[in-house]
Amino acid sequence: MEQLLVPMICKVDKVIQETPDVKTYRLKFRDEGMMEKFTYLPGQFVEFSLLGSGECTFCIASSATRTGYFDCSIKKAGVVTADIHNSLEEGDEVGIRGPFGNWFPLEDLKGKNLLFVGGGIGLAPLRSLIQYCIDNRNDYKDFTILYGARTSADMCYKEEIKEWQDNKTVNVVLTIDKPEETWTSNVGVVPKILEEVVNPVIENTKVITCGPPIMIKYTILSLKKLGFADPDIITTLEMKMQCGLGKCGRCNIGSTYVCKDGPVFTNEQLKSLPDEF
Amino acid sequence: MSVETFVTDKAGLQKFYEAVMASRETYAPVEKFGKFDFKRVARVTECDPESPIAKTQSIKPLFFPRSAKVMKFVATSAGTDVSETDEDPLAVKRAILGVKHCDARSLQVLDKVYNWDYIDTDYQKRRENTVIISTRCDRADTHCFCTSLDYDVENLDALDVLIVNGSDGKIYIKARTPKGESFLKETVTGQASPVTDEIASPDLKKQYDAFAGSFRLKMDYKEVNAKLSKIFDTPEFENVSGNCVSCNTCAFVCPTCHCFKISDEKVKDTGVRYKSYDSCNNGYFTLMAGGHNPRPVKYRRWRQRAMHKFVYYKERFGENLCVGCGKCTIACPVNISIFEVVNQVSAAGVQE
Amino acid sequence: MNYTKEIQDIAAKLFAEGKIDVFVGYRVNGFDDNQVPVLITDPQDVSKLVFTDKSVFNLVNYLKNDHTRRKRVGLVVKGCDSRSLNLMLTESQVKRENLYVVGICCEGVVDEAGQKMQNCTDCMVPDAVVSDELLGTPSGSDTLSGSYKMNADIAMLAEKPLTERAAYFEEVFENCIRCNACRHSCPLCYCAKCCIDQETATLYNGANTTSGAFHALMTWSLHLAGRCVDCRNCEKACPSHLPLHLLHKQNESVIYENFQEHLAGVVTGDRGAFYKYSLKDPDDFIM
Ligand SMILES: Cc1cc2nc3c(=O)[nH]c(=O)nc-3n(C[C@H](O)[C@H](O)[C@H](O)COP(=O)(O)OP(=O)(O)OC[C@H]3O[C@@H](n4cnc5c(N)ncnc54)[C@H](O)[C@@H]3O)c2cc1C
Ligand code: SF4
Ligand code: SF4
Ligand code: SF4
Ligand code: SF4
Ligand code: SF4
Ligand code: SF4
Ligand code: FES
Repeated sequence: MEQLLVPMICKVDKVIQETPDVKTYRLKFRDEGMMEKFTYLPGQFVEFSLLGSGECTFCIASSATRTGYFDCSIKKAGVVTADIHNSLEEGDEVGIRGPFGNWFPLEDLKGKNLLFVGGGIGLAPLRSLIQYCIDNRNDYKDFTILYGARTSADMCYKEEIKEWQDNKTVNVVLTIDKPEETWTSNVGVVPKILEEVVNPVIENTKVITCGPPIMIKYTILSLKKLGFADPDIITTLEMKMQCGLGKCGRCNIGSTYVCKDGPVFTNEQLKSLPDEF
Repeated sequence: MSVETFVTDKAGLQKFYEAVMASRETYAPVEKFGKFDFKRVARVTECDPESPIAKTQSIKPLFFPRSAKVMKFVATSAGTDVSETDEDPLAVKRAILGVKHCDARSLQVLDKVYNWDYIDTDYQKRRENTVIISTRCDRADTHCFCTSLDYDVENLDALDVLIVNGSDGKIYIKARTPKGESFLKETVTGQASPVTDEIASPDLKKQYDAFAGSFRLKMDYKEVNAKLSKIFDTPEFENVSGNCVSCNTCAFVCPTCHCFKISDEKVKDTGVRYKSYDSCNNGYFTLMAGGHNPRPVKYRRWRQRAMHKFVYYKERFGENLCVGCGKCTIACPVNISIFEVVNQVSAAGVQE
Repeated sequence: MNYTKEIQDIAAKLFAEGKIDVFVGYRVNGFDDNQVPVLITDPQDVSKLVFTDKSVFNLVNYLKNDHTRRKRVGLVVKGCDSRSLNLMLTESQVKRENLYVVGICCEGVVDEAGQKMQNCTDCMVPDAVVSDELLGTPSGSDTLSGSYKMNADIAMLAEKPLTERAAYFEEVFENCIRCNACRHSCPLCYCAKCCIDQETATLYNGANTTSGAFHALMTWSLHLAGRCVDCRNCEKACPSHLPLHLLHKQNESVIYENFQEHLAGVVTGDRGAFYKYSLKDPDDFIM
């Protein structure tokens, strides 16, 4: 076990300040050969250590279809994440273990309309899948991204969202919670915009959603109201984690280990779990 | 069975123990502050292989250390050096004396979680290199309920060498596994003589029956498993956990609990990462950054404890995550008994 | 010492008058004649309550947030327990108006083997110092005037050479398993985020090393210096049976000698030796 807990060293290639409290760290393995061996799929996560401070769980926010690096977008939320924000700079080294967990059901998504519903930092895991799907665009039908944040400043990946908006085959809907002077797009919480603006086709559509727990809860209610079936609603769960190996006992919901059996679940699977997340 | 049984007496047993200690690194219950913990011993007089049940810690730390150094790291001008620590050499052959049956069994239960998917090779190596020598208890203690669980205490194969106090001062030494058999070949001295099963069995059986008759606690684990698996939301969890002070001791002393935390310690440019015990009774155990906690109140944490032991682990790995040793109840400052909790909750759940 | 009947009556009356939501007392544990704490919310259950010299646990622990937050609580306190309650009140951890306190004039409690507990033989304040109702006969004597008893174990250790003492404590820390039961069973360790039991390295990580235990336990004992009331909840909870009172009693005696015979929690409103801050303090360091 001990050796499973020893991380590989990565170098921070680039730091992007996404929002006041989110930074994206672009990472490359110090040992270049490792980069090729590091294969992962959208939805998987890594254990990220700032050595001396501690280890945290972050999903991989980029797709392996873009080679040579991977991204973690990190929100300042507690002790270790604050240390990361305060001290980690380009050229610094961090420890990475992974990839862990399951991934989005890529095979099931093929030939389907895709609707991504993200809120705040929840766009990070979706971004990995979005990049993957854009890079394999012909495998999928309609492509809609609904993304909400509290304020326009809290939107992650602003540059990349522009690219998506410029992409004729992708439909991007943005929203913020409260009106702002310079904001010309939608205003309102994600579930509301989902029902009133996006109004998606239900037939042959898979919805992938990720965001704060409260947003996920109401988004799923809206989706159900619109008529989506539970197996077509896919989300990623956040539970406290430490090992990522199905050993430390932190992430379980009933007999399910979120770090091994998840973090990606369909709503159908979620319904069979004890109500403790 | 081809496996040989030996018979000896108290003096012969001491000789056997001495031979064990001469042959490998030996661990046995050593008294400190009135409590027995398994420590390295060189002489029989240092330890008590028949230490009192209620005062003996489990052998778990010999396989899953209370704190394991995961790695060292050093920041140099050329970059960060990360290396596994070479402490606790795993290749050493060890023997443990004075292991209670329940404790020996706990390793079989732990094997399941350590050997699924990612394999804990350190644990495995420690397992492979250790001979478990277990003396069968003569009497159950107040909180023991090993005979009520999903394993056969009489014919337990979780131990390599079985020692039984027979009648008239006779002591039997018996191999229970091939590992135990070859180990006995090396260590059984002239003081112990082989006996046939025909002679040994009735005496072993007699001892077992007397022992099995001494239990205060008895339950039908299948019924508890079945009933609990249908209960999740019941106020009974609040009733049974009312006086719990969330102190974690139950998990720290439990031979089957296996939760851990990972933490770093750094001084200037060098640091160490540890993996240390943790417990689901802890308020912060599932507390996430930002304040969300799926188990914010103690009855939910106790529900996790009870359900993990008697439902979740069983669903996942086919075994109860409890061997009935009673260590948690004895250590608990308010004596909350896992036995009572699961029985009370499953009984109450059905009345509705 | 047996106040079982009185306490049952008081609890029943408090429930009947609607004055409390929960009554914290003792019941027999159900397997031998020892007792465990019980939190009673159903008036029907008051018959479970007992009080004898086996009523050891300091129930003030249950006034911590985890257990009885925003509830009106009836509880039983012995002398030492009442002093910890006094400190909880002074430190604004509980509201007096939410409590109904049954104070005991304590004659001493016994351990599992039936031996009088050492803290009881040392006790200078057997009568509850906070109460709405007092049971038993007050000991009457002015217990605080100059009868401080040096703890026998401390006195014994003090005789030994330094190296021997160091070796002894080394052994204590070596046998600590870092479960933190001591801190969780102490009524005065109510911090929601305690510096010694965090998962991520803040001050100390949770590693079970001798030095880790040393740092954690020493910090812990300093956080209780001038506050520890010698109820021994911590020591009773310790699964390794460590003599934790040594850490606290040494502090207590030093403080008693040097800070005007200060004893924790005896006087309502007294914040304790190490927790008073005065600009006029002649010393230029802050503890
Ligand atoms: C599968 C998964 C993917 C995630 N992806 C991202 C992401 O892409 N970007 C991002 O900003 N955050 C993500 N999180 C949340 C992130 O893990 C926490 O915000 C982070 O661990 C907080 O660490 P801390 O030390 O700052 O907080 P503290 O509160 O100080 O936490 C102490 C320790 O508890 C654990 N912990 C605390 N909160 C969480 C939590 N919410 N989830 C898991 N472990 C936790 C960590 O091990 C941490 O070291 C993800 C969580 C999970 C489970
Ligand atoms: S839960 Fe209690 S009785 Fe069961 S194995 Fe653990 S310590 Fe023993
Ligand atoms: S009972 Fe709690 S501490 Fe023990 S293994 Fe299960 S989750 Fe971990
Ligand atoms: S549960 Fe008790 S009787 Fe059974 S093996 Fe363990 S110590 Fe012996
Ligand atoms: S040992 Fe007892 S009080 Fe402590 S957490 Fe376990 S059940 Fe609760
Ligand atoms: S430190 Fe121990 S003896 Fe002192 S008040 Fe706390 S629990 Fe009581
Ligand atoms: S209760 Fe005992 S073993 Fe546990 S942390 Fe405290 S001193 Fe150490
Ligand atoms: S994160 Fe350790 S078991 Fe899932």
